[in-house]
Amino acid sequence: MDITALKIRDMRTMLDKKEISAAELTDAYLDRIDKTDGSLESYITVTADEAKAAAVKAQQVIDDGNAGVLTGIPLAIKDNICTDGIKTTCASRILENFVPPYNATVMEKLNAEGIVMLGKTSMDEFAMGGSTQTSAFKKTKNPYDQNRVPGGSSGGSAAAVGASLCAAALGSDTGGSIRQPASFCGVTGLKPTYGRVSRYGLVAFASSLDQIGPVAKDAHDCAIILNAISGYDYHDGTSAKLDVPDFTAKIGQDIKGIKIAMPKEFYAEGIDSDVREAVENAAKWYEQQGAVIVECSMPSLKYAVAAYYLIASAEASSNLSRYDGIKYGHRSETGDSYSDLVCNSRSEGFGDEVKRRILLGNYALSSGYYDAYYGKAMALKQKIREEYAEIFKGCDVILTPTAPTVAYGINENISDPAKMYQADICTVTVNIASLPAISTTCGYDKNGMPIGMSIIGKHWDEASVIQAADAYEKQFAYQPAKI
Amino acid sequence: MDIEMVRHLSDLGKLTFTDEELEKVAKDMTGIIEIMDTIKEIDISYDPIKDNHNVYLNGLREDRAMDSFPTEKILQNAVNSEKCFVVPKVVE
Repeated sequence: MDITALKIRDMRTMLDKKEISAAELTDAYLDRIDKTDGSLESYITVTADEAKAAAVKAQQVIDDGNAGVLTGIPLAIKDNICTDGIKTTCASRILENFVPPYNATVMEKLNAEGIVMLGKTSMDEFAMGGSTQTSAFKKTKNPYDQNRVPGGSSGGSAAAVGASLCAAALGSDTGGSIRQPASFCGVTGLKPTYGRVSRYGLVAFASSLDQIGPVAKDAHDCAIILNAISGYDYHDGTSAKLDVPDFTAKIGQDIKGIKIAMPKEFYAEGIDSDVREAVENAAKWYEQQGAVIVECSMPSLKYAVAAYYLIASAEASSNLSRYDGIKYGHRSETGDSYSDLVCNSRSEGFGDEVKRRILLGNYALSSGYYDAYYGKAMALKQKIREEYAEIFKGCDVILTPTAPTVAYGINENISDPAKMYQADICTVTVNIASLPAISTTCGYDKNGMPIGMSIIGKHWDEASVIQAADAYEKQFAYQPAKI
Repeated sequence: MDIEMVRHLSDLGKLTFTDEELEKVAKDMTGIIEIMDTIKEIDISYDPIKDNHNVYLNGLREDRAMDSFPTEKILQNAVNSEKCFVVPKVVE
Protein backbone atom coordinates (compact mmCIF):
# COMPACT_ATOMS: atom_id res chain seq x y z
CA MET A 1 0.00 0.00 0.00
CA ASP A 2 1.26 3.44 -0.89
CA ILE A 3 0.98 5.27 2.42
CA THR A 4 1.83 8.58 0.77
CA ALA A 5 -1.49 8.49 -1.10
CA LEU A 6 -3.58 8.16 2.07
CA LYS A 7 -5.92 10.77 3.48
CA ILE A 8 -4.96 12.36 6.80
CA ARG A 9 -7.76 10.50 8.63
CA ASP A 10 -6.55 7.13 7.39
CA MET A 11 -2.96 7.93 8.35
CA ARG A 12 -4.23 8.86 11.80
CA THR A 13 -5.88 5.47 12.22
CA MET A 14 -2.79 3.59 11.05
CA LEU A 15 -0.46 5.65 13.26
CA ASP A 16 -2.66 5.16 16.31
CA LYS A 17 -2.99 1.42 15.66
CA LYS A 18 0.80 1.25 15.24
CA GLU A 19 0.37 -0.14 11.72
CA ILE A 20 2.89 2.47 10.63
CA SER A 21 5.26 4.69 12.59
CA ALA A 22 5.66 8.45 12.25
CA ALA A 23 9.22 7.87 11.03
CA GLU A 24 8.06 5.42 8.33
CA LEU A 25 5.46 7.89 7.12
CA THR A 26 7.91 10.81 7.06
CA ASP A 27 10.60 8.71 5.37
CA ALA A 28 8.13 7.52 2.75
CA TYR A 29 7.43 11.14 1.81
CA LEU A 30 11.08 12.20 1.89
CA ASP A 31 11.88 9.24 -0.33
CA ARG A 32 9.15 10.12 -2.78
CA ILE A 33 10.24 13.77 -2.82
CA ASP A 34 13.77 12.60 -3.59
CA LYS A 35 12.60 10.48 -6.52
CA THR A 36 9.93 12.80 -7.94
CA ASP A 37 10.58 16.43 -7.08
CA GLY A 38 13.72 16.79 -9.21
CA SER A 39 11.42 17.22 -12.19
CA LEU A 40 8.21 18.38 -10.49
CA GLU A 41 10.02 21.12 -8.48
CA SER A 42 7.23 21.66 -5.94
CA TYR A 43 9.60 22.29 -2.99
CA ILE A 44 12.01 25.22 -2.66
CA THR A 45 13.38 23.88 0.64
CA VAL A 46 13.09 20.32 1.93
CA THR A 47 13.62 20.18 5.69
CA ALA A 48 14.60 16.51 5.91
CA ASP A 49 16.54 16.65 9.20
CA GLU A 50 13.91 18.74 10.94
CA ALA A 51 11.17 16.46 9.61
CA LYS A 52 12.87 13.32 10.93
CA ALA A 53 13.36 14.97 14.33
CA ALA A 54 9.71 16.04 14.41
CA ALA A 55 8.65 12.50 13.54
CA VAL A 56 10.60 11.15 16.52
CA LYS A 57 8.88 13.67 18.81
CA ALA A 58 5.48 12.86 17.31
CA GLN A 59 6.04 9.12 17.83
CA GLN A 60 6.67 9.76 21.53
CA VAL A 61 3.36 11.63 21.77
CA ILE A 62 1.57 8.80 19.93
CA ASP A 63 3.17 6.17 22.19
CA ASP A 64 2.06 8.15 25.26
CA GLY A 65 -1.50 7.97 23.99
CA ASN A 66 -1.73 11.75 23.57
CA ALA A 67 -1.91 12.02 19.79
CA GLY A 68 -4.12 14.72 18.33
CA VAL A 69 -5.61 14.44 14.88
CA LEU A 70 -2.52 15.93 13.19
CA THR A 71 0.25 14.39 15.33
CA GLY A 72 2.92 12.96 13.06
CA ILE A 73 1.18 14.07 9.85
CA PRO A 74 3.66 15.33 7.21
CA LEU A 75 2.69 18.71 5.76
CA ALA A 76 4.22 21.14 3.29
CA ILE A 77 4.13 24.89 3.89
CA LYS A 78 3.96 27.59 1.21
CA ASP A 79 7.15 29.63 1.23
CA ASN A 80 5.47 32.93 2.15
CA ILE A 81 4.62 31.66 5.63
CA CYS A 82 7.32 32.49 8.16
CA THR A 83 9.04 29.52 9.77
CA ASP A 84 11.47 30.34 12.57
CA GLY A 85 15.00 29.38 11.59
CA ILE A 86 13.94 27.99 8.20
CA LYS A 87 14.56 30.02 5.05
CA THR A 88 11.39 31.74 3.81
CA THR A 89 11.89 33.22 0.36
CA CYS A 90 8.46 34.02 -1.10
CA ALA A 91 10.12 32.61 -4.24
CA SER A 92 11.93 35.94 -4.63
CA ARG A 93 15.62 36.80 -5.00
CA ILE A 94 15.00 39.69 -2.65
CA LEU A 95 14.41 37.19 0.17
CA GLU A 96 16.71 34.48 -1.17
CA ASN A 97 18.51 34.02 2.13
CA PHE A 98 15.92 35.41 4.52
CA VAL A 99 15.55 33.39 7.70
CA PRO A 100 12.58 34.57 9.75
CA PRO A 101 13.22 35.17 13.45
CA TYR A 102 9.73 33.98 14.32
CA ASN A 103 7.00 31.50 13.41
CA ALA A 104 3.76 32.51 11.79
CA THR A 105 0.84 31.93 14.14
CA VAL A 106 -0.40 29.10 11.91
CA MET A 107 3.01 27.40 12.34
CA GLU A 108 2.86 27.79 16.12
CA LYS A 109 -0.58 26.17 16.05
CA LEU A 110 0.45 23.32 13.74
CA ASN A 111 3.67 22.69 15.68
CA ALA A 112 1.63 22.47 18.88
CA GLU A 113 -0.45 19.79 17.11
CA GLY A 114 2.74 17.83 16.44
CA ILE A 115 2.85 18.00 12.64
CA VAL A 116 5.94 17.07 10.67
CA MET A 117 6.98 19.87 8.32
CA LEU A 118 8.51 18.37 5.16
CA GLY A 119 9.54 21.69 3.65
CA LYS A 120 8.58 24.98 1.99
CA THR A 121 6.80 24.92 -1.32
CA SER A 122 7.31 27.01 -4.41
CA MET A 123 4.97 29.77 -5.46
CA ASP A 124 4.65 32.74 -7.74
CA GLU A 125 6.98 35.46 -6.45
CA PHE A 126 5.29 37.25 -3.54
CA ALA A 127 2.10 35.34 -4.41
CA MET A 128 1.64 37.45 -7.53
CA GLY A 129 0.60 35.13 -10.30
CA GLY A 130 -1.48 32.20 -11.42
CA SER A 131 1.11 29.74 -12.73
CA THR A 132 4.05 29.47 -10.27
CA GLN A 133 6.24 30.25 -13.30
CA THR A 134 7.33 33.59 -11.79
CA SER A 135 9.10 31.71 -8.97
CA ALA A 136 12.75 32.77 -8.90
CA PHE A 137 13.78 29.28 -7.77
CA LYS A 138 11.46 26.43 -8.69
CA LYS A 139 9.02 26.66 -11.59
CA THR A 140 6.72 23.87 -10.46
CA LYS A 141 5.05 21.58 -13.01
CA ASN A 142 1.60 20.04 -13.02
CA PRO A 143 1.61 16.45 -11.68
CA TYR A 144 -0.95 15.42 -14.33
CA ASP A 145 1.18 16.71 -17.20
CA GLN A 146 4.62 18.14 -16.55
CA ASN A 147 4.40 20.26 -19.70
CA ARG A 148 1.64 22.25 -18.02
CA VAL A 149 1.51 24.70 -15.15
CA PRO A 150 0.23 23.71 -11.70
CA GLY A 151 -1.55 27.03 -11.38
CA GLY A 152 -0.63 29.59 -8.76
CA SER A 153 0.34 31.21 -6.70
CA SER A 154 0.20 28.16 -4.35
CA GLY A 155 1.31 25.91 -7.22
CA GLY A 156 4.02 24.17 -5.21
CA SER A 157 1.57 23.25 -2.45
CA ALA A 158 -1.10 22.04 -4.88
CA ALA A 159 1.38 20.03 -6.97
CA ALA A 160 2.91 18.47 -3.85
CA VAL A 161 -0.52 17.32 -2.67
CA GLY A 162 -1.49 16.16 -6.17
CA ALA A 163 1.72 14.15 -6.48
CA SER A 164 1.48 12.78 -2.91
CA LEU A 165 4.68 14.53 -1.85
CA CYS A 166 2.93 15.52 1.40
CA ALA A 167 -0.30 14.56 3.17
CA ALA A 168 -1.57 18.11 2.78
CA ALA A 169 -0.24 21.62 2.60
CA LEU A 170 -0.83 25.23 3.50
CA GLY A 171 -1.30 27.81 0.78
CA SER A 172 -2.43 31.41 0.70
CA ASP A 173 -5.20 33.00 -1.34
CA THR A 174 -5.48 36.67 -2.27
CA GLY A 175 -7.30 36.39 -5.61
CA GLY A 176 -7.65 32.64 -6.04
CA SER A 177 -4.18 31.39 -5.21
CA ILE A 178 -5.33 28.33 -3.26
CA ARG A 179 -8.41 27.48 -5.29
CA GLN A 180 -7.07 27.80 -8.82
CA PRO A 181 -3.96 25.63 -8.34
CA ALA A 182 -6.11 23.11 -6.45
CA SER A 183 -8.35 23.04 -9.50
CA PHE A 184 -5.42 22.65 -11.93
CA CYS A 185 -3.79 19.89 -9.84
CA GLY A 186 -6.89 17.84 -9.12
CA VAL A 187 -6.94 18.40 -5.34
CA THR A 188 -9.11 20.32 -2.86
CA GLY A 189 -8.24 23.80 -1.62
CA LEU A 190 -10.11 26.07 0.74
CA LYS A 191 -9.91 29.83 1.28
CA PRO A 192 -11.44 30.67 4.66
CA THR A 193 -13.54 33.75 5.43
CA TYR A 194 -11.27 36.77 5.74
CA GLY A 195 -10.35 36.98 9.42
CA ARG A 196 -10.85 33.28 10.16
CA VAL A 197 -7.11 32.48 10.11
CA SER A 198 -4.40 34.77 11.48
CA ARG A 199 -2.21 36.52 8.91
CA TYR A 200 0.60 37.06 11.44
CA GLY A 201 3.68 35.64 9.77
CA LEU A 202 2.11 35.50 6.31
CA VAL A 203 4.23 37.75 4.13
CA ALA A 204 1.76 40.41 3.11
CA PHE A 205 0.68 40.87 -0.49
CA ALA A 206 -2.73 42.57 -0.17
CA SER A 207 -3.62 42.89 3.47
CA SER A 208 -7.38 43.25 2.99
CA LEU A 209 -7.56 40.12 0.83
CA ASP A 210 -4.85 37.62 1.95
CA GLN A 211 -5.84 34.45 3.78
CA ILE A 212 -3.96 31.26 4.61
CA GLY A 213 -5.82 28.02 3.92
CA PRO A 214 -5.41 24.27 3.45
CA VAL A 215 -4.75 22.29 0.28
CA ALA A 216 -5.48 18.59 0.76
CA LYS A 217 -6.74 15.46 -0.97
CA ASP A 218 -10.34 16.22 -0.01
CA ALA A 219 -12.67 18.57 1.82
CA HIS A 220 -12.67 16.51 5.00
CA ASP A 221 -8.88 16.75 5.28
CA CYS A 222 -9.14 20.50 4.57
CA ALA A 223 -11.58 20.78 7.47
CA ILE A 224 -9.18 18.98 9.81
CA ILE A 225 -6.41 21.43 9.01
CA LEU A 226 -8.75 24.43 9.16
CA ASN A 227 -9.77 23.38 12.68
CA ALA A 228 -6.11 23.53 13.70
CA ILE A 229 -5.13 26.85 12.12
CA SER A 230 -8.21 28.99 12.76
CA GLY A 231 -8.90 31.39 15.58
CA TYR A 232 -8.47 34.87 16.96
CA ASP A 233 -4.87 36.05 17.23
CA TYR A 234 -3.98 39.20 19.13
CA HIS A 235 -1.03 39.67 16.73
CA ASP A 236 -3.48 40.12 13.83
CA GLY A 237 -5.88 43.03 14.26
CA THR A 238 -8.01 41.72 11.40
CA SER A 239 -8.51 38.27 12.89
CA ALA A 240 -12.04 37.66 14.07
CA LYS A 241 -12.93 37.36 17.72
CA LEU A 242 -15.18 34.43 16.96
CA ASP A 243 -15.18 30.93 18.43
CA VAL A 244 -13.90 28.34 16.02
CA PRO A 245 -16.61 25.79 15.23
CA ASP A 246 -15.74 22.22 14.30
CA PHE A 247 -15.51 22.46 10.53
CA THR A 248 -16.06 18.72 10.18
CA ALA A 249 -19.41 18.89 12.05
CA LYS A 250 -21.69 19.09 9.00
CA ILE A 251 -19.82 16.46 6.96
CA GLY A 252 -22.19 13.67 6.02
CA GLN A 253 -25.34 15.66 6.82
CA ASP A 254 -28.07 15.44 4.22
CA ILE A 255 -27.77 18.06 1.48
CA LYS A 256 -31.42 17.70 0.48
CA GLY A 257 -33.02 21.11 0.32
CA ILE A 258 -29.72 23.03 0.16
CA LYS A 259 -30.15 25.97 -2.19
CA ILE A 260 -27.28 26.31 -4.66
CA ALA A 261 -27.07 29.52 -6.70
CA MET A 262 -25.35 29.61 -10.09
CA PRO A 263 -24.83 33.25 -11.14
CA LYS A 264 -25.16 33.21 -14.92
CA GLU A 265 -22.19 35.48 -15.58
CA PHE A 266 -19.85 32.74 -14.28
CA TYR A 267 -21.04 30.43 -17.05
CA ALA A 268 -20.85 32.81 -19.99
CA GLU A 269 -18.50 32.71 -22.99
CA GLY A 270 -14.92 32.83 -21.87
CA ILE A 271 -15.42 29.64 -19.87
CA ASP A 272 -14.15 26.57 -21.75
CA SER A 273 -16.99 24.28 -22.80
CA ASP A 274 -15.37 21.27 -21.01
CA VAL A 275 -15.25 23.26 -17.79
CA ARG A 276 -18.81 24.55 -18.08
CA GLU A 277 -20.14 21.08 -18.84
CA ALA A 278 -18.35 19.50 -15.87
CA VAL A 279 -19.63 22.09 -13.39
CA GLU A 280 -23.17 21.95 -14.81
CA ASN A 281 -23.07 18.15 -14.49
CA ALA A 282 -22.07 18.57 -10.86
CA ALA A 283 -25.06 20.89 -10.41
CA LYS A 284 -27.30 18.20 -11.90
CA TRP A 285 -25.88 15.67 -9.45
CA TYR A 286 -26.65 18.01 -6.53
CA GLU A 287 -30.19 18.42 -7.87
CA GLN A 288 -30.63 14.66 -8.02
CA GLN A 289 -29.72 14.56 -4.31
CA GLY A 290 -32.50 17.02 -3.54
CA ALA A 291 -30.60 20.31 -3.65
CA VAL A 292 -32.39 23.23 -5.27
CA ILE A 293 -30.61 25.13 -8.03
CA VAL A 294 -31.28 28.86 -7.97
CA GLU A 295 -30.65 31.13 -10.95
CA CYS A 296 -29.26 34.56 -10.26
CA SER A 297 -27.01 37.26 -11.60
CA MET A 298 -23.89 39.17 -10.64
CA PRO A 299 -23.79 42.07 -13.09
CA SER A 300 -20.54 43.51 -11.66
CA LEU A 301 -18.56 40.37 -12.48
CA LYS A 302 -17.27 41.93 -15.69
CA TYR A 303 -15.46 44.64 -13.68
CA ALA A 304 -14.16 42.26 -11.03
CA VAL A 305 -10.71 41.59 -12.50
CA ALA A 306 -10.01 45.30 -12.85
CA ALA A 307 -11.31 46.07 -9.34
CA TYR A 308 -9.25 43.25 -7.85
CA TYR A 309 -5.99 44.15 -9.59
CA LEU A 310 -6.33 47.82 -8.67
CA ILE A 311 -7.01 47.10 -4.99
CA ALA A 312 -4.49 44.28 -4.67
CA SER A 313 -1.71 46.09 -6.50
CA ALA A 314 -2.33 49.31 -4.54
CA GLU A 315 -1.97 47.42 -1.28
CA ALA A 316 1.00 45.44 -2.61
CA SER A 317 2.86 48.57 -3.69
CA SER A 318 2.62 49.73 -0.09
CA ASN A 319 3.39 46.33 1.48
CA LEU A 320 6.44 45.81 -0.70
CA SER A 321 7.93 49.18 0.26
CA ARG A 322 9.53 47.45 3.23
CA TYR A 323 11.98 45.59 0.95
CA ASP A 324 14.91 47.97 0.90
CA GLY A 325 17.75 45.60 1.72
CA ILE A 326 18.57 47.43 4.92
CA LYS A 327 17.23 45.28 7.76
CA TYR A 328 16.79 42.09 5.74
CA GLY A 329 16.69 40.89 2.20
CA HIS A 330 18.95 41.36 -0.78
CA ARG A 331 21.23 44.39 -0.51
CA SER A 332 22.88 45.58 -3.68
CA GLU A 333 26.66 45.89 -3.89
CA THR A 334 26.26 49.18 -5.76
CA GLY A 335 24.67 52.49 -4.86
CA ASP A 336 26.53 55.49 -3.47
CA SER A 337 23.56 57.11 -1.82
CA TYR A 338 20.87 55.61 0.37
CA SER A 339 18.33 56.15 -2.39
CA ASP A 340 20.48 54.48 -5.04
CA LEU A 341 21.23 51.56 -2.76
CA VAL A 342 17.55 50.98 -2.10
CA CYS A 343 16.63 51.34 -5.79
CA ASN A 344 19.35 48.94 -6.86
CA SER A 345 18.51 46.39 -4.18
CA ARG A 346 14.84 46.39 -5.17
CA SER A 347 15.49 46.36 -8.91
CA GLU A 348 17.96 43.48 -8.62
CA GLY A 349 15.79 41.52 -6.19
CA PHE A 350 12.26 41.79 -7.60
CA GLY A 351 11.08 39.89 -10.68
CA ASP A 352 9.20 41.44 -13.59
CA GLU A 353 5.67 40.62 -12.45
CA VAL A 354 6.28 42.06 -8.98
CA LYS A 355 7.63 45.25 -10.55
CA ARG A 356 4.56 45.52 -12.81
CA ARG A 357 2.25 45.23 -9.82
CA ILE A 358 4.17 47.86 -7.88
CA LEU A 359 3.88 50.22 -10.86
CA LEU A 360 0.17 49.46 -11.24
CA GLY A 361 -0.41 50.04 -7.56
CA ASN A 362 1.45 53.33 -7.63
CA TYR A 363 -0.57 54.36 -10.70
CA ALA A 364 -3.88 53.56 -9.02
CA LEU A 365 -2.94 55.57 -5.93
CA SER A 366 -1.12 58.49 -7.50
CA SER A 367 -2.35 62.03 -7.58
CA GLY A 368 -4.77 62.61 -10.43
CA TYR A 369 -5.57 58.93 -10.83
CA TYR A 370 -6.66 57.94 -7.32
CA ASP A 371 -10.39 58.61 -7.74
CA ALA A 372 -10.69 57.16 -11.22
CA TYR A 373 -8.87 53.94 -10.35
CA TYR A 374 -8.51 53.12 -6.66
CA GLY A 375 -11.63 55.05 -5.64
CA LYS A 376 -13.68 53.39 -8.39
CA ALA A 377 -12.27 49.96 -7.48
CA MET A 378 -13.35 50.49 -3.87
CA ALA A 379 -16.82 51.45 -5.09
CA LEU A 380 -16.89 48.23 -7.11
CA LYS A 381 -15.84 46.32 -4.02
CA GLN A 382 -18.89 47.67 -2.24
CA LYS A 383 -21.12 46.81 -5.20
CA ILE A 384 -19.77 43.26 -5.45
CA ARG A 385 -20.32 42.72 -1.74
CA GLU A 386 -23.91 43.97 -2.13
CA GLU A 387 -24.52 41.67 -5.08
CA TYR A 388 -23.29 38.67 -3.09
CA ALA A 389 -25.44 39.68 -0.11
CA GLU A 390 -28.45 39.84 -2.43
CA ILE A 391 -27.71 36.41 -3.91
CA PHE A 392 -27.22 34.88 -0.46
CA LYS A 393 -30.70 36.05 0.57
CA GLY A 394 -31.98 33.27 -1.67
CA CYS A 395 -29.40 30.50 -1.32
CA ASP A 396 -27.05 28.67 1.04
CA VAL A 397 -24.03 28.32 -1.24
CA ILE A 398 -22.95 29.46 -4.69
CA LEU A 399 -21.48 27.14 -7.35
CA THR A 400 -19.08 28.38 -10.03
CA PRO A 401 -16.20 27.06 -12.10
CA THR A 402 -12.88 27.67 -10.30
CA ALA A 403 -11.11 28.74 -13.49
CA PRO A 404 -12.14 29.34 -17.11
CA THR A 405 -9.81 26.59 -18.32
CA VAL A 406 -7.84 23.55 -17.25
CA ALA A 407 -4.09 23.85 -16.68
CA TYR A 408 -2.40 25.34 -19.75
CA GLY A 409 1.04 24.78 -21.27
CA ILE A 410 4.05 26.17 -19.47
CA ASN A 411 5.00 28.85 -21.96
CA GLU A 412 1.51 29.63 -23.15
CA ASN A 413 0.47 32.87 -21.41
CA ILE A 414 3.69 34.05 -19.84
CA SER A 415 4.36 36.82 -22.36
CA ASP A 416 0.91 38.37 -21.97
CA PRO A 417 0.42 39.54 -18.38
CA ALA A 418 -2.92 41.17 -19.16
CA LYS A 419 -4.32 37.90 -20.52
CA MET A 420 -3.20 36.05 -17.39
CA TYR A 421 -5.06 38.56 -15.23
CA GLN A 422 -8.32 37.82 -17.08
CA ALA A 423 -8.07 34.17 -16.09
CA ASP A 424 -8.78 35.14 -12.48
CA ILE A 425 -12.37 36.12 -13.26
CA CYS A 426 -13.90 33.17 -11.39
CA THR A 427 -12.00 33.61 -8.14
CA VAL A 428 -11.34 37.28 -7.34
CA THR A 429 -14.85 38.33 -6.25
CA VAL A 430 -14.66 35.84 -3.38
CA ASN A 431 -11.65 37.68 -1.93
CA ILE A 432 -13.19 41.09 -2.57
CA ALA A 433 -16.28 39.99 -0.62
CA SER A 434 -14.21 38.25 2.11
CA LEU A 435 -16.20 35.01 1.64
CA PRO A 436 -15.13 31.40 2.25
CA ALA A 437 -14.80 29.13 -0.79
CA ILE A 438 -13.57 25.64 -1.60
CA SER A 439 -12.42 24.22 -4.92
CA THR A 440 -12.76 20.52 -5.60
CA THR A 441 -12.40 18.39 -8.73
CA CYS A 442 -15.61 17.79 -10.67
CA GLY A 443 -14.31 16.29 -13.89
CA TYR A 444 -11.44 15.74 -16.32
CA ASP A 445 -11.10 17.07 -19.84
CA LYS A 446 -10.39 14.92 -22.88
CA ASN A 447 -6.67 15.01 -22.03
CA GLY A 448 -7.29 13.87 -18.47
CA MET A 449 -6.63 17.32 -16.99
CA PRO A 450 -8.62 18.07 -13.81
CA ILE A 451 -11.52 20.52 -13.83
CA GLY A 452 -12.35 22.32 -10.58
CA MET A 453 -15.60 23.72 -9.26
CA SER A 454 -15.86 26.26 -6.47
CA ILE A 455 -18.45 26.31 -3.72
CA ILE A 456 -18.75 29.72 -2.09
CA GLY A 457 -20.36 30.20 1.30
CA LYS A 458 -21.71 32.97 3.48
CA HIS A 459 -19.31 34.70 5.83
CA TRP A 460 -18.07 32.28 8.53
CA ASP A 461 -19.93 29.34 6.95
CA GLU A 462 -16.94 27.20 5.96
CA ALA A 463 -18.82 24.23 7.41
CA SER A 464 -21.50 24.39 4.67
CA VAL A 465 -19.02 24.64 1.80
CA ILE A 466 -17.10 21.71 3.27
CA GLN A 467 -20.32 19.73 3.66
CA ALA A 468 -21.36 20.39 0.06
CA ALA A 469 -17.92 19.61 -1.38
CA ASP A 470 -17.57 16.45 0.70
CA ALA A 471 -20.97 15.16 -0.44
CA TYR A 472 -19.87 15.42 -4.07
CA GLU A 473 -16.39 14.02 -3.44
CA LYS A 474 -17.74 10.86 -1.81
CA GLN A 475 -19.22 9.71 -5.13
CA PHE A 476 -16.70 11.25 -7.52
CA ALA A 477 -14.39 8.90 -9.43
CA TYR A 478 -10.95 10.41 -8.84
CA GLN A 479 -8.20 9.86 -11.34
CA PRO A 480 -4.97 10.40 -9.40
CA ALA A 481 -1.97 11.86 -11.20
CA LYS A 482 0.20 9.13 -12.69
CA ILE A 483 3.43 10.31 -11.12
CA MET B 1 1.21 54.04 -20.70
CA ASP B 2 4.01 56.30 -21.87
CA ILE B 3 7.62 56.04 -20.79
CA GLU B 4 7.50 59.24 -18.74
CA MET B 5 4.69 57.81 -16.63
CA VAL B 6 6.63 54.57 -16.14
CA ARG B 7 9.67 56.61 -15.00
CA HIS B 8 7.49 58.56 -12.56
CA LEU B 9 5.90 55.41 -11.14
CA SER B 10 9.29 53.72 -10.84
CA ASP B 11 10.59 56.70 -8.89
CA LEU B 12 7.64 56.37 -6.56
CA GLY B 13 8.34 52.66 -6.17
CA LYS B 14 12.13 53.02 -5.86
CA LEU B 15 12.75 50.90 -8.94
CA THR B 16 15.18 51.51 -11.78
CA PHE B 17 14.92 50.30 -15.36
CA THR B 18 17.32 50.49 -18.28
CA ASP B 19 16.01 52.32 -21.36
CA GLU B 20 15.42 48.96 -23.03
CA GLU B 21 13.52 47.66 -20.04
CA LEU B 22 11.45 50.84 -19.89
CA GLU B 23 10.14 50.22 -23.42
CA LYS B 24 9.02 46.70 -22.58
CA VAL B 25 7.49 47.75 -19.27
CA ALA B 26 5.57 50.59 -20.94
CA LYS B 27 4.18 48.11 -23.46
CA ASP B 28 3.17 45.64 -20.74
CA MET B 29 1.60 48.37 -18.63
CA THR B 30 -0.39 49.67 -21.60
CA GLY B 31 -2.04 46.27 -22.00
CA ILE B 32 -2.74 46.11 -18.28
CA ILE B 33 -4.22 49.61 -18.09
CA GLU B 34 -6.57 48.69 -20.95
CA ILE B 35 -8.16 46.12 -18.65
CA MET B 36 -8.19 48.53 -15.71
CA ASP B 37 -9.92 51.13 -17.86
CA THR B 38 -13.00 48.92 -18.21
CA ILE B 39 -14.12 50.26 -14.84
CA LYS B 40 -14.59 53.69 -16.38
CA GLU B 41 -17.81 52.34 -17.96
CA ILE B 42 -19.63 52.10 -14.66
CA ASP B 43 -20.79 55.24 -12.90
CA ILE B 44 -20.59 54.55 -9.17
CA SER B 45 -18.70 56.17 -6.35
CA TYR B 46 -17.27 54.92 -3.11
CA ASP B 47 -19.44 55.49 -0.05
CA PRO B 48 -17.13 55.80 2.96
CA ILE B 49 -20.01 55.96 5.42
CA LYS B 50 -21.25 52.53 4.32
CA ASP B 51 -17.85 50.98 4.95
CA ASN B 52 -17.49 52.63 8.33
CA HIS B 53 -20.54 50.78 9.55
CA ASN B 54 -18.67 47.54 8.94
CA VAL B 55 -15.29 48.54 10.28
CA TYR B 56 -14.70 47.73 13.87
CA LEU B 57 -11.59 47.68 15.91
CA ASN B 58 -10.98 44.28 17.42
CA GLY B 59 -10.10 45.90 20.61
CA LEU B 60 -6.77 47.59 21.10
CA ARG B 61 -4.02 45.47 22.59
CA GLU B 62 -3.54 45.68 26.32
CA ASP B 63 -0.70 48.02 27.19
CA ARG B 64 1.52 45.52 28.94
CA ALA B 65 5.26 44.95 28.80
CA MET B 66 6.26 41.78 26.95
CA ASP B 67 9.54 40.29 25.77
CA SER B 68 10.76 41.67 22.49
CA PHE B 69 12.92 39.79 20.02
CA PRO B 70 16.57 39.21 21.00
CA THR B 71 18.92 41.59 19.15
CA GLU B 72 20.83 38.75 17.48
CA LYS B 73 17.66 37.43 15.90
CA ILE B 74 16.71 40.83 14.55
CA LEU B 75 20.18 41.36 13.10
CA GLN B 76 20.52 37.86 11.65
CA ASN B 77 19.38 38.87 8.16
CA ALA B 78 21.21 42.18 7.79
CA VAL B 79 24.59 43.77 7.31
CA ASN B 80 25.31 44.68 10.88
CA SER B 81 28.03 45.78 13.22
CA GLU B 82 28.14 46.30 16.98
CA LYS B 83 24.47 45.46 17.36
CA CYS B 84 23.38 48.02 14.75
CA PHE B 85 22.24 47.88 11.15
CA VAL B 86 24.88 49.30 8.83
CA VAL B 87 23.55 51.82 6.30
CA PRO B 88 25.14 54.24 3.82
CA LYS B 89 25.87 57.64 5.23
CA VAL B 90 22.73 59.76 4.96
CA VAL B 91 23.74 62.85 6.93
CA GLU B 92 26.62 65.11 6.04
